[in-house]
Amino acid sequence: MTQTSPAPTTTGSGLTLSVRGLTVHYGGVCAVRSVDFTVGAGQAVGIVGANGAGKSSTLKALMGLVPRAVDALRLGDIDLTRVRARDMVRHGVGYVPEGRKVFAGLSVEKNLMLGAYARGWRRHSQQSLAEVYELFPVLGEMRARLAGALSGGQQQMLAIGRALMSRPRLLLLDEPSMGLSPKLVEDILAVLQRLSGEGMSLLLVEQNAKLTFEATTDCLVMENGQVAMTGSAHELRHDPRVRRIYLGL
Amino acid sequence: MRYRIGLVALLAVVAWGLPYGLNLYAMHVADVALVFAVLAIGLGLAMGVAGQVNLAQVAFFGVGSYAVAILTTHYGYGFWPAALLSLVATVVIGLLVGTPALRVQSHYLGIVTLGLAVAFTNWVTNAALAGGASGISGIPVPPLGGVDLSSDYLYWYVEVVVFAAALAFGLFVVRTPLGRRMRAMRDDSLAAGAVGAEVPMLRMAAFGLASVYGGLAGVLYAGLIRYVSPDTFSMTNMFLLLAMVIIGGRQSLVGCVVGALALSLLREALSDASTYAQLGYGVVVVLAVVFAPTGLAGLPARLRSGWRKRRGEGASAAVLGPFRPFPAAPQASAPVGPGPLLEVQQISKRFRGLWALREVSLSVGAGEIRGIVGPNGSGKTTLFNVISGLYRPSGGTVRLGGAPVGGRRPYQLSHAGLARTFQNLRLFNNLTVRENVLVAADRSRTRGIWRYAVWQVGVVRRDRALRARADAMLDQFGLSAFADALPRSLPYGIQRRVEIARAMVSGPRLLLLDEPAAGLNGEEVRQLGEIVRSIRDSGVTVVIIEHNMGLVMSLCERITVLASGEVIAEGGPAEVAATPRVIEAYLGDSAMSKDVPPVIATEVAQ
Amino acid sequence: MQVFFQTLIGGLSLGAVYALVAMGFSLVYRTMGLVNFAHGDVVMIGAYVASTFYMSAKLPFALAIVAAIVVTGLIGVIIERVLRPLENKDFDLMLIGTIGFGIVLEAVATLIWGATGRAVPSPVPAAPLDIFGIRVRTYNLVVLAIAALAMVALVLFLQRTKRGAAMQAVAMDYEAATAVGIHVGRSNALSFSIGAGLAALGGGLVGPLLYVNASMGGSLGIKGFAAAILGGFGSIPGAILGGLAIGVLDSFSAGHFQGYSDLVTFLVFTVIIMVRPTGVFGERTVNRA
Repeated sequence: MTQTSPAPTTTGSGLTLSVRGLTVHYGGVCAVRSVDFTVGAGQAVGIVGANGAGKSSTLKALMGLVPRAVDALRLGDIDLTRVRARDMVRHGVGYVPEGRKVFAGLSVEKNLMLGAYARGWRRHSQQSLAEVYELFPVLGEMRARLAGALSGGQQQMLAIGRALMSRPRLLLLDEPSMGLSPKLVEDILAVLQRLSGEGMSLLLVEQNAKLTFEATTDCLVMENGQVAMTGSAHELRHDPRVRRIYLGL
Repeated sequence: MRYRIGLVALLAVVAWGLPYGLNLYAMHVADVALVFAVLAIGLGLAMGVAGQVNLAQVAFFGVGSYAVAILTTHYGYGFWPAALLSLVATVVIGLLVGTPALRVQSHYLGIVTLGLAVAFTNWVTNAALAGGASGISGIPVPPLGGVDLSSDYLYWYVEVVVFAAALAFGLFVVRTPLGRRMRAMRDDSLAAGAVGAEVPMLRMAAFGLASVYGGLAGVLYAGLIRYVSPDTFSMTNMFLLLAMVIIGGRQSLVGCVVGALALSLLREALSDASTYAQLGYGVVVVLAVVFAPTGLAGLPARLRSGWRKRRGEGASAAVLGPFRPFPAAPQASAPVGPGPLLEVQQISKRFRGLWALREVSLSVGAGEIRGIVGPNGSGKTTLFNVISGLYRPSGGTVRLGGAPVGGRRPYQLSHAGLARTFQNLRLFNNLTVRENVLVAADRSRTRGIWRYAVWQVGVVRRDRALRARADAMLDQFGLSAFADALPRSLPYGIQRRVEIARAMVSGPRLLLLDEPAAGLNGEEVRQLGEIVRSIRDSGVTVVIIEHNMGLVMSLCERITVLASGEVIAEGGPAEVAATPRVIEAYLGDSAMSKDVPPVIATEVAQ
Repeated sequence: MQVFFQTLIGGLSLGAVYALVAMGFSLVYRTMGLVNFAHGDVVMIGAYVASTFYMSAKLPFALAIVAAIVVTGLIGVIIERVLRPLENKDFDLMLIGTIGFGIVLEAVATLIWGATGRAVPSPVPAAPLDIFGIRVRTYNLVVLAIAALAMVALVLFLQRTKRGAAMQAVAMDYEAATAVGIHVGRSNALSFSIGAGLAALGGGLVGPLLYVNASMGGSLGIKGFAAAILGGFGSIPGAILGGLAIGVLDSFSAGHFQGYSDLVTFLVFTVIIMVRPTGVFGERTVNRA
């Protein structure tokens, strides 16, 4: 806890995620249609697009939280096609859900410790707790508070911190900027850049294109459940078609 | 139809002939079974049809019986006057027991009604007036001309007449406006309120009906056994009654009757092994809720659909017809008064300390199509919920046609000319498409249900008029081929269209559409645009929340943009799309706004 | 004064049993959103099993209760497993399913132990204790002490252990709980069996206070449930306070209205629910630990 020097890496080294032919149906609606992409080891990839384009469904389907069909899904050497949602974390996938979904009635620290649930509660969590508090000092100050009493930005930090507690090899983030002020979005960006710099593989789903283009190297643009464009964040940033997709022009 | 008449005739013959084939004991068993059938219809109406967890039905039964017993033996009333007063007493008690339903639902309601039922048995076992644990004997034989009703054989015919009338009335209620509204309320009380059903009144009506049947069964029972004691109205019998209704199929009155008769007879057949019987029906109840929630009554339909699936027949070959535009309203008829049709002033809404809406103001003129857009979580649906009366705003006012409507309930707003659809489709899933539309077509107030008691012809006439109106609306939307289908069995795009038809059949002045294009394919989105334009041309003002920006840009004259619960821009499509704050809200970067091609802006403005 | 205190102590010890029942209700509700109407019958089974081991197998009272906890815990697991397909789907059906289980348990109890019921002798000397001039049944104090211990143990379990925290996490957001690796089904089964175990403890303790018979589950279950609602459903401290309140209300209304105590208790309960559906001690944004 007394550590002040830069903490040892919160992350293990990132692994490569490859996805082929991911499809999601809700009732009769096809929310995601045969999507392919790869997140290289230590790479940060973004998925952008307007509301309802299927970004969030893609992420939930990767986690196995919604029924999916997929031709191939691998993280590093491991085949994830048949792994259940609750076991994803044991294979190194950390998930930051849309709308934070912190455990509102539990304390901040308990939330974080639950993040290490799959690794064993007390044995491994102390070190990781210290690292998360180093990354988000505000969580350390509020460790005894109930998570539900935190502000939106603090809850987002907590959700990310909780996912990091499992020492993931790949972090999935669903709309971390939702409902946050521009200042807080900057803070989130800084965190993502730092994690990326430490070698974590990141997959970021965002409506906020600016955040995504700054936090990632490569992006997919989704529209109507399909990948409409792919390219480097730098290229897409200056591509007027992105704006059309967003604003319907 | 002919098949049904034949079946009823056959049953009538069986009922008439039954006493000739039974010994005295069997006749008595049949008499008791029929009493339980009447009781079960009442429970079916409350629980299966109206969705009110009523665990006091046996207490209603008891109130009816005990009232007859007390009035005849203590106060010297004749049987029939006592019977009439007992019915009244049961209904009064029923409505009192039902009042908690206005505040709580589901398991809370279950425990409250169960507690009150226990309170009732507690009272009768202790009160001297009710004869204590030994009960009251010596209830007089009901006089009926020269017919000796002390004979279980002759009493059967009285019961058959009452039962037939009770079942017929129950079925009549289920198939006419009152029952449809109750079923709609059961499936989705929120949506039922939004299409104009007075949910509180309907809940009371459900308890009222349940108690009428309870009282009726109680009177019949008192006349049959001529002795009442607390055991008959115990919790064990309440759960037996519940098992009858669940096993028979709670949503079908005929199923309830079948369940009641079957379990009554089984109980008698196994009376030497009653505990095994109890074990048996307990197990069947558990199996039924897990594997056959629609009970025996639902089996034929399940078998049929299973059969079809096995034979590889897909869904019906029905096709969606084209939408036929509404007749355009004459230009002059538009004004409803000076000023805008919808005026939202400084509306704020807080949830647990977070502002979902902060001083949002907008005004929508009559005949306008207004788009409301914004990133996820910006408060768009919250705004709709405030306007349609689902949420009470923390501050601000809403005016509809100039009149303040703040604090009004959703059904009142529906009657004031507001209709809406929901982001995640809220159709009544156990009602057919036609019935979904019929519920909304019914513009009457629930207090008009007195007609059910005295003037059924009027109910039938009104129902016929509603059906004509609903069918016309289905035809207009090209949905006639699906009129008898259940919504869930239909493709998503068609369900969306049904929801719009349901909203339009109420003849609104203002229509709120919450993400109507979500989940639709390109062609369906095009048709949706056409439908919305036609609705507007017929004189209805439309406010639409939508993520499909192409649709919003082409459809709306004016667009209001929300972000973080505040209005950040308002204006024409091109104007809004060029506003830096909007681009920042969407893309996170206002700097990216500088190179919007001007060509596109002019395209949109057309 | 003497009568008042005796009634109060009697009410509190009965209330402690209601509190145990209510805690079981609350625990299951909080973790699964399910109201288990069979809970009262699980209490009854607990009372029978405990009394059988105590009276027939001559086990020490404490061991007999442990045996009862094991048996009812298993019953809890079975109920949860059978009704699992309905979880997060149809609330009313699930409620009716638990009523079905209640019917089954009552029948099973009648088959095993007969319909007549039994009186369980007190495991401690019957001579009342004299505390500051007030004579108190010793067993009442035993019940209060054990119930208090159980409550402390439950709260510690929920607050201090990994499984306890996981159970609460599942209740708050099962998707996020899944994402951190919690097996939601297993966690629910655990909470169901702990709830059933609490019921057995309540049943075992109530044996010497009341007459044990197959239909005792109804009234105990309803009162325990009423206690849970009164305290604000899902709140453990609320369940304890609600249980004690119902016990005292019961005990005093039995003193004042004799046979009509159930009537009075349920009328008062109904009025309270009408006025405050969220319970007296409960709040919508209840701090759930």
